[in-house]
Amino acid sequence: MLVEFQQALADLVASPEACRRARANPEQLRLRYDLSPREYDRLVAMVNHKGMAWNCMLYRANRLSPLVLNLPEFCRALGPRLGPLLSEYSERHPNTNVHFYLECDRFCRFIEAKLSEGYCLEPDVLAVFRAEHTNIKLSLAATQTTLAPSLAGRAAL
Amino acid sequence: MRGGRAFVGLLNNPAVPSIVKHAPDLVEYIDVIPDRLWYDFEFAGTGNGRFRRAIGAIEELKECAEGRVLGGHGIGLSLPSAIPIDMAMVDEVASLAKDLDFQWFSEHLSMFLVAHGSVPNSQAGLGLPVAYDDETFRIIAAKLDILRRALGCDIILENGAVFTPVPDTEMTEPEFLNRLYAELGCGTLLDLHNLYVGQRNGTLSPPEYLEQLNPDCVKEIHIAGGDELAGFYMDSHSRLTPDDVWAWAYRFGPRFRNLRAIVFEFHESYFERLGLAGIVRELERMHELADALSARPQQRHVG
Repeated sequence: MLVEFQQALADLVASPEACRRARANPEQLRLRYDLSPREYDRLVAMVNHKGMAWNCMLYRANRLSPLVLNLPEFCRALGPRLGPLLSEYSERHPNTNVHFYLECDRFCRFIEAKLSEGYCLEPDVLAVFRAEHTNIKLSLAATQTTLAPSLAGRAAL
Repeated sequence: MRGGRAFVGLLNNPAVPSIVKHAPDLVEYIDVIPDRLWYDFEFAGTGNGRFRRAIGAIEELKECAEGRVLGGHGIGLSLPSAIPIDMAMVDEVASLAKDLDFQWFSEHLSMFLVAHGSVPNSQAGLGLPVAYDDETFRIIAAKLDILRRALGCDIILENGAVFTPVPDTEMTEPEFLNRLYAELGCGTLLDLHNLYVGQRNGTLSPPEYLEQLNPDCVKEIHIAGGDELAGFYMDSHSRLTPDDVWAWAYRFGPRFRNLRAIVFEFHESYFERLGLAGIVRELERMHELADALSARPQQRHVG
């Protein structure tokens, strides 16, 4: 079914690990999605195409983009920790919310949950996080009123 | 289009007002992404309705629009997706189209929406390739009908930047676009930079594509520049237009009898890199192109 083919393609693009599994064992695509023989052949060809890696990279860059735009100092302060955190966040929330303040707020609540589970941030990084999360909350609140701000905070796809 | 000459313009973003202020005579047309003029709160539980307009951005756009032509350039409706069209979004687009007087409306021939997203307006994260089969054609046809009735203006579809084309489709992309025009009157927004992306990444030959495309489909052209990352070239709207793109515009443009607008796309985050002077020069080159295309005898397509 076309809707299943499209879902499978979106799921693959969102997960390099799913791509690796599909390349190693393409039959599992048939188990997971209701695909016609033509759709199955197409997906197998596409997941093995060199461009699939680029799809995955662009997907990840687009997930990162609203966070970097709206939490710039926190992302900078995280340094090499940003990558693993983004990977975990993307696994937990496979689809981005087009309202980027909602998306950023959701990421911040993910960080808060990690902190409550014992994830450590240095005091200065924590301070930056709290300040930028507050800005996100204020911006989000503003978008719910007639005082809605301009296009800042929304990056085009 | 005035006397056969296409309008020259920009894709709207927060930097466009300053360009219009600096070089008002160079910007005749603005492509407006309606999705950037609202905040979509579906299922966020605010109780205040789904779409909240970005009032400041809309007022600023209206000021810019004085004496200019506006068109809509949507990204959220995802017409090729095998799921029902988002009627609430259609209504919001229609409302904005009326308020801003869109002369036509474009959407993407790419899939953005997924059926099983964790939020209803969730996106696949990028525009995904489309299977150019009869089934997809019928899905798009039905949605185009809804959109046309709601907006009351011409609808055109843009070719996407594709890294993994769907193999063995019933039609090529140009054939699909030709059929949309022949059977449904749906024209093409020809993104020449997206063809350049295909050339750089080895997935298509733009001259072959352009020979196959019915030139009468083409109502709007987009040009842009991109970046290379990890061995692939992206449509990042981050640089000035490459020479190849200009060459195709001059070579094939004379065939586009129905061309209404030539638009430069850039993302505001690259405004500093491009510079006001750089964008102004790009607009000047686009005017030279528009003049050249309107001056030449219309060429017949022999593809």
